[in-house]
Order: sequence, then structure tokens, then C-alpha cells
Amino acid sequence: MARMKFLCDADRCIECNACVTACKNEHEVPWGINRRRVVTINDGLPGERSVSMACMHCTDAPCASVCPVDCFYTTADAVVLHSKDLCIGCGYCFYACPFGAPQYPKVGNFGSRGKMDKCTYCAGGPEADMTMAEYEKYGANRLAEGKLPLCAEMCSTKALLAGDGEIIAEIYRERVTTRGYGSGAWGWQTAYQETINV
Amino acid sequence: MTNREEQKGLRRRGFLGMFAGATAATATAAVVGAGAVNEAQAQETEDEMRKARYQETDHVKAFYRTNRY
Repeated sequence: MARMKFLCDADRCIECNACVTACKNEHEVPWGINRRRVVTINDGLPGERSVSMACMHCTDAPCASVCPVDCFYTTADAVVLHSKDLCIGCGYCFYACPFGAPQYPKVGNFGSRGKMDKCTYCAGGPEADMTMAEYEKYGANRLAEGKLPLCAEMCSTKALLAGDGEIIAEIYRERVTTRGYGSGAWGWQTAYQETINV
Repeated sequence: MTNREEQKGLRRRGFLGMFAGATAATATAAVVGAGAVNEAQAQETEDEMRKARYQETDHVKAFYRTNRY
């Protein structure tokens, strides 16, 4: 069974934010929420790196472990999804997530939060596949359409890889071997307790 | 208006009321029925929720191929 993963080749990312824009547009994400963000480390200094980050769909996801209403579930292809009908917007998952993936719409004064929103790996939610009900809550279900997350498909420098973990690891290995360097698979050790050896 | 005329008027309105009531009941039943069908279609079962959606289609294969160079 294929295990879905994200891999950002930081040596290729040029911080264009196309992945962020593509995601917002594809899923009609509400104002103030970014399911994906580009983080730049050592900005303006030698060794500067930009990494596109979103929910990494962790193995043994910490968000699911801390959820008091058990609204998270993992699909057979290892995509971590959640039910907005069950979510109470407590914010525990936000504190537990090592990638800062969970986002909350601001629904009123005094910091009150709405239902949590996060990357769905373009796989929708618990509603029937490719229905309007699913689209309104979670966005497009590209995986059910036989496609991959749009952020990766849109990436202009092919820095962001998505799909079967073994295949994208192999692609990354080939790149590192060809160009002679690579800064590693960012977040893989934290998310999947493994790394890519070249 | 005399008492007799009042009674006649009430009977007429009563008939209209009955007609309206029956229409509303039919409409409500239709809406409730449609709602139940939508609800059943909208929510997936536990197995459907967790099933794998990834398929190695030509589209996905093209993504892997173009990412190799």
C-alpha cells in the first residue's frame, strides 16, 4: 500500500509561494488561513534555505493523540484527516503539531476560534467524495480524482514533491546523486521517524 | 355581518385553510425526505472514510516522470 508523503527539496525552493496560492485557490480557503506556508531560514545570509511546509500527515500523528473529541482519522494511504463536525476548536492540536499546521478561522471577538482547518493532502474529509458538502468544508478531493496535491503539481521548480513516499524518496535520491548535494528531507525525521540516505 | 354570514365565511376560510395545510404537509414531507437522502449520501461510513484514494493514474505517473529531471 502506497504511503502518501510530502518532500520539500529545499535546494530547489525559490520562495515563490506558488504552492501557497495554489492551495488557497483550489480549496477556497477562508481569509486569514494558510494551509501551506513557505518558511525561510537564515534569510539573507549564506546558507539561506526556503522550505514549503504544511501538514506532513505524520505517522502516529501528535494532533490525533491530543484531540479531546477524537476528530482525526488516518486513511489507508496514511493521510491524516479530521471531521469539522466533531472539532470543538480547542486548539490542542495546534500546540501539539511540530509543523504548526492546524489553523483556525477567527469567528468573533476575544480570540474565539472556529473549527480547525489544515491541509487535507487534497483528499477532502468524511463527507462523500467530490460532493459539494465535502468541498465547502475541506476543499477539493484531488486524490479521489486520480491526481496529487495541487501545491506539488504547481511547483515551478519541482521543489515540492508529493505522492508515494518510496517513489518521491527515490526521485530525491536521484537528484542528490546527480547534482552532488542535498540538504536532506526536511521534517521527515519528525513526521515519519525516518530519513533519506543517499 | 349577521351570524349566518359569519359562519358561512368561516366555513369558506376553513376549506382554504385545510387546502393550505395539506399542501404544507406534503411540502414538509418532501423536504424532510430529501434531507434524509442527502444526509445519507453526504456522510461516509467508517470504512469509506479510511479507504485509500490514491491511484497511480497516467496523471500521477506524468508527475513522477517530470519530477525526475
